Amino acid sequence: MDLSLLGQYVLNGLMLGTIYAMVAVGFTLFFGVLDVIKFSHGDVLMVGAFTGLVAYLGLSALGVQSNALLTLGVMLSAVLLIALLGAALARWLVLPLRGAPPINLLLITLMAGTVLREAIRLFYPAGANPKPFPRLLPADSVSFGALTLRFDSAILIALGLASIVAVHLLVTRTRLGLAIRAVAQDSETAQVVGMNFQRIVLVTFAIGSALAALAGVTAGLYYNEINFGMGLLLGVIGFSAAVVGGLGNLYGAILGGFLFAGLQTLGAVWFAVPAYKDVFAFAVVILVMTWRPTGLIAEQSAERV
Amino acid sequence: MSETATLLRCEGLSVRFGGLTALNRLDLRLRDGEILGLIGPNGSGKTTFFNALTGLYRAAGGRTWFAGAEITGLRPQAIYDAGIARTFQRSRLCLPLSVFDNLMIGNHRRLSLGLWFNLCRRSRFAQELQRHVERARALLAAFHPRLPERMFEPAGALGMIDRRRVEVCRALISEPRLLLLDEPSAGMTHDETRELMDDILAARERLPGLSIILIEHEMGVIERVSERCVVLNFGEKICEGPFAAVVADPQVQEAYLGSSS
Amino acid sequence: MSARAAQQPVLWPAFAATGAIACFAYLFLRVEAQWEVAALAVGAVLALLAFGRTRLGAAVGAAWSVRPVPLAWGALLAASVVVALFAEDHFALLLIATVLLYGLACLGLTIQFGYAGVVNFSGAAFFGVGGYTAAVLATHTALPHPLVLAAGGVLAGAIGSLLVLPLLRTRGHYAALITIAFAILFKTFLEVNDALGGPQGLKVPGMRMLGWSFNDNIPLGEQTELSFYLSYAVFSLLLLAGALLLMRRLERSWLGLSLDAVRIDETAAAVFGFEVARWKILAFTLGNVLAGVAGAAYAMMTGFVAPASFTFAESLIMVSIVILGGLGNPVGVLAAAALVLVLPEKLQVIQEYRFLLFSGFVILVLLFRPEGLLPRTLRQYLPGWGRA
Repeated sequence: MDLSLLGQYVLNGLMLGTIYAMVAVGFTLFFGVLDVIKFSHGDVLMVGAFTGLVAYLGLSALGVQSNALLTLGVMLSAVLLIALLGAALARWLVLPLRGAPPINLLLITLMAGTVLREAIRLFYPAGANPKPFPRLLPADSVSFGALTLRFDSAILIALGLASIVAVHLLVTRTRLGLAIRAVAQDSETAQVVGMNFQRIVLVTFAIGSALAALAGVTAGLYYNEINFGMGLLLGVIGFSAAVVGGLGNLYGAILGGFLFAGLQTLGAVWFAVPAYKDVFAFAVVILVMTWRPTGLIAEQSAERV
Repeated sequence: MSETATLLRCEGLSVRFGGLTALNRLDLRLRDGEILGLIGPNGSGKTTFFNALTGLYRAAGGRTWFAGAEITGLRPQAIYDAGIARTFQRSRLCLPLSVFDNLMIGNHRRLSLGLWFNLCRRSRFAQELQRHVERARALLAAFHPRLPERMFEPAGALGMIDRRRVEVCRALISEPRLLLLDEPSAGMTHDETRELMDDILAARERLPGLSIILIEHEMGVIERVSERCVVLNFGEKICEGPFAAVVADPQVQEAYLGSSS
Repeated sequence: MSARAAQQPVLWPAFAATGAIACFAYLFLRVEAQWEVAALAVGAVLALLAFGRTRLGAAVGAAWSVRPVPLAWGALLAASVVVALFAEDHFALLLIATVLLYGLACLGLTIQFGYAGVVNFSGAAFFGVGGYTAAVLATHTALPHPLVLAAGGVLAGAIGSLLVLPLLRTRGHYAALITIAFAILFKTFLEVNDALGGPQGLKVPGMRMLGWSFNDNIPLGEQTELSFYLSYAVFSLLLLAGALLLMRRLERSWLGLSLDAVRIDETAAAVFGFEVARWKILAFTLGNVLAGVAGAAYAMMTGFVAPASFTFAESLIMVSIVILGGLGNPVGVLAAAALVLVLPEKLQVIQEYRFLLFSGFVILVLLFRPEGLLPRTLRQYLPGWGRA
């Protein structure tokens, strides 16, 4: 195939990978801190995208014209409000079920995701239909010979990677990050030593959800369209990516995100019917799990016998 | 010690977790019918030894023989079939199930598990069930006369002492050749402990040839019950012999109390 | 349950309970006024919640434990009466048959999850395997329809065995991911595969057994014609009764004990000789077979199969039914299935909101009553056992 088409696939894959990695990092953070898989994560992302859309509509109605300001407003509102949503979900749905069997937690977050999804579908005006997302970033592109690079792609990929790096630095270089890692390692000892377990959990969930909101807005800005169902598939993909990379491992989540995007891209290229890409990618995930049951980068926990 | 009288033999048994060596080249011999006390400070590798022996941990080195056959690297199920049963340090009864069900879990070797038998041959099943109920009743009664009355209550309804008794019964009901007891007296008073050990010894009378390895922190129990002791520290055997000799050993004292220098 | 019940328990409370349930089922399907429907639903939930905890509930449970045979015939009779009362009503019979068949599939999930602890988030996919098998075999071959149903089950079991190796090697969340990935994979696979009808799906011929065509209305004398769904409803009732008998035998045996041991503590089970893999494979396969048979029958009844009926959301609903009903309690699961499937049909106002309301309800249950509607009781191996 010609170079420009290949380049297009690669860029698309990079964009997808960045989004998946952002979602996967959230999953890994939640798992590390509370041993919980928050299945509502994908739908939280979707609410983030819609929050951004509402912010845009609101700001435009107030007369704001500058694309830069609008972009800033959209991102900030999504990130802040969804951070609160994530913390609320943790406080009211996840923490109360700490002692329950893990399947209950899995289910309650799955149901919470469904509630979010249905709420948007039912209560947002014409929620069942896809909504156009404004094109706020420069739409021009630059050509390198046969390859064309869209500016908005470049900005979004850079932004996404920067946010992942920021979270990584937060977790590894700050006192808050130290607290998060302490709780993730051994929550009982952390509490004994005096850390405010609940506060750290809420903060962790807020950070993970904020990252998801950013991913949602990124998806909106890139595809210029959002819909109420976008969270489900993205959530499952993000979870797969986190698992394949090894739950609890930040690098694994990033690796998994780009790996899954790579698999989808490969599938799209190989198979005549592009829809097979998802079948292919998920089949590979199942195979990887068979070969390495705790992910490519092994999980660091052991059951006490 | 002649070869034929040795029931269990470990040579160079090692267990490693990543960089941590939990058990370092342990050599251990157990005679047929012997009661061996396994002692040492916390974290010295005693439970790790049990876990490696029963196939829950994979040994990083060394070999193990039981009743003449090599059992190195065998799966837990095969170890059970060979005749080794155990209790756990942290009680692992199935609390939602009845006491009888818990005993039957220990009795796996004697249960007919065919699909046809269980689904269709109901009268035969009833006969087998009846036999097992009697055996369970007899075993429980040996530990406490009121215990059989509670045989069909959920195990979770029993107090801690009774649960311990049930757990020991679960290990005994398959009539193993080797019983591994992991801190059976934890959380009990002296009297309760003595009662439990008496019952275990009485059960041993009825099961000729039953050998026991006993992990305990309470030295009174070890002194009274064991014929020989092995002391572990940081995964290594530091002393072996009768209780009185082991207790007087300066290395052992240092391990428990810390060095005086 | 205390072993203090009388030697021969009185049976009439159990018969009365069966009768009450039958009356409720009849009323629930018959009433049209929305407030009546809502009142009945709330009353049913409260009654079930209370039932599991009261002496009456214990008495009924004891009766079923000790003298199941007359009670079972009574239940079958009561169910038949309810079905007969709706003999001319297409809609009611379709609902009844749907509840029975989905209930059958959920019983399969109960064996997997309630007994062996294997979570299956792709239950609807195996239901769909049965449906598509029926579609293909009934349309293109002359295979007798009872064998078509069996083939649906067998194929579901066979496809499930593809997932067995990854499922055995993984635990907890990872195992959940396997079945979730499969659920999504399955639906996408169906949609892109034109050989299987693509997004439109396939038509499925009606069931024919021993010359009796299930898809024809049944004339009764000169005036009346009974709904053709009557055949399906009766057939589903028989299928379900068979499955319940199988499950009862399974649970009240060393098989049930082994499954429970593996579910509650896999490590302890291994140490006492249980072949964990064997039991998980048995439960998973058997559950999928039941789901496949149910799916095949359902496809023949509704006349078509399409990917949109077998989504991850549908699988989620099945898992929720299993948990809501009370993990491991077949009666609870059937009650939950009935409520979840019938209520949105009767209460028109909530039709649109049913996913939202249902998810919210499950959240409340998980927060405040995680053991579900009817908790599971202790194992009673044989009628009359459980006395020390």
